[in-house]
Amino acid sequence: MNEKLSLTELQLIIRDSLYTALPGFYWVFAEISEAKENYAGHCYLELIEKHPDEINIRARVRAVIWNTRYRFLKSFFESTTGETLRPGIKILIRVKIEYHEIYGLSLVINDIDPAFTLGDMAIKRQQILKRLEEEGVISMNKELELPVAPQRIAVISSRTAAGYQDFVKHLKENIYGYGFSITLFEAVMQGTETEQSVISALNSISEQYERFDVAVILRGGGAQSDLSWFDNYNIAYHITQFPLPVITGIGHEKDISVTDIVAYHALKTPTAVADYLIEKMVSAENMLLQLADEMSEIVKEIIEKKKERLTSFMTRIIPVSNRLISSEKSELSVKLIDLSNKVRNRLSREEINLAGMKKKIESASLNFTGSKENELKISDKLIRINTYNLLRNLEAKIKSMSESLNMLSPVNVLKRGYTITVVNGQIIKSTEYLNRGDEIDTFFHDGKIKSSVTEKSKEKFIDL
Amino acid sequence: MAKKELTFNEAMKEIEAILHNIESGNLDIDRLSKEVRRASELIRLCQKKLRATEEEINGIFKELS
Repeated sequence: MNEKLSLTELQLIIRDSLYTALPGFYWVFAEISEAKENYAGHCYLELIEKHPDEINIRARVRAVIWNTRYRFLKSFFESTTGETLRPGIKILIRVKIEYHEIYGLSLVINDIDPAFTLGDMAIKRQQILKRLEEEGVISMNKELELPVAPQRIAVISSRTAAGYQDFVKHLKENIYGYGFSITLFEAVMQGTETEQSVISALNSISEQYERFDVAVILRGGGAQSDLSWFDNYNIAYHITQFPLPVITGIGHEKDISVTDIVAYHALKTPTAVADYLIEKMVSAENMLLQLADEMSEIVKEIIEKKKERLTSFMTRIIPVSNRLISSEKSELSVKLIDLSNKVRNRLSREEINLAGMKKKIESASLNFTGSKENELKISDKLIRINTYNLLRNLEAKIKSMSESLNMLSPVNVLKRGYTITVVNGQIIKSTEYLNRGDEIDTFFHDGKIKSSVTEKSKEKFIDL
Repeated sequence: MAKKELTFNEAMKEIEAILHNIESGNLDIDRLSKEVRRASELIRLCQKKLRATEEEINGIFKELS
């Protein structure tokens, strides 16, 4: 050890050797483990390479993007990938090795290839999807049934997010006047806390899922970046195991996340989610109105049918009953005539019998005159008694018969309230023979009255 | 515990069942009017529920179940 070097001299030798050995630029891929912008707008990064076990670190180096370059690279990267330069993502960068006597080795980044990051993200997402598929859970949330009228809504979002405010406003101001009940479960919607925060919100809803019809995850209104926070296995898995249908409104213009893929339904914006829910309500009401229409149609039909049956009963009953009544009537009058004829015949027969008997008795009694006195006396007595009895019987019979006849005599008919109308000694049986002004005699059972016809109509007694 | 409250879905299903029942044509007039009354009430409540305020949304069907 003859020569002694100052530290600066040594650092300069190292620098020169490095620059000689590693001239120009290199494309390097690595994972960002730290990233920060300083006040001057320079971006300082820490890059690592992990072991395949994803835990241990194999290599680590500091890197920087100077502010003039950073402004350009940042917007280029973010607009292409929808991602920021943040811990956890993998990048492909073009670097120059720099060695500083105070700060040591670092990489100066002068270009970045977003396609690499996109590819890596896609691979990661594919891995998550493949795993969910292998576990057989990927479509479990889609298999749930969304209530016909989703009104009770659990929202996972951050209170201050413009997207959440839009959603609430849109639902509350729906033109149909549908009612919604919105409960917010606050969560961090970007950054490293996203996973844990969203999962704990999902769990809180799960614990009281019966209070809700649907859960909605909302983001938006801010920068359209950081979608990859929702390319997360744990969030996705929780959604597949969730008891309620999940609708997402965290969408990205270009791409959809794993969360969107496993959700019951994915929409781009919170407003689109609100519209979707309102539409569901509209179709619920339409279904309801259709049922009501169908019902009133059927009921109308049934009532109409019953009415028709009733009417047909009525039209059948009237002629049948009329026929029945008129046949009863004519039978009755036939019987009446029959009866009076019979009574008359019987009476005249009895009269003849009576006369015959009288004659027989007379001749018999004449024959007996002059016979034995005693016998005669006894016989006479017997005959008297017999005759008396016979006559009494006949008398009673005749009396009852004449009473029957009396019932039929006009006088008795008159006594029952009927009258006989007579004009010029003729009995009038129909209004046909009467005109206004005619003088008529009306006989009652106890006298008659005179009157003149003032009115004539077809109205019948029965109609009264 | 109290009987579980009727949901909109359940009410809808009940209305459909009643409709089906009426359609079958096996109901006498008394039963028909009873069923129609029930269905009308359910329809009315469903419509009311669609426009219910937040506090009401949970309680609309309480009187029915």
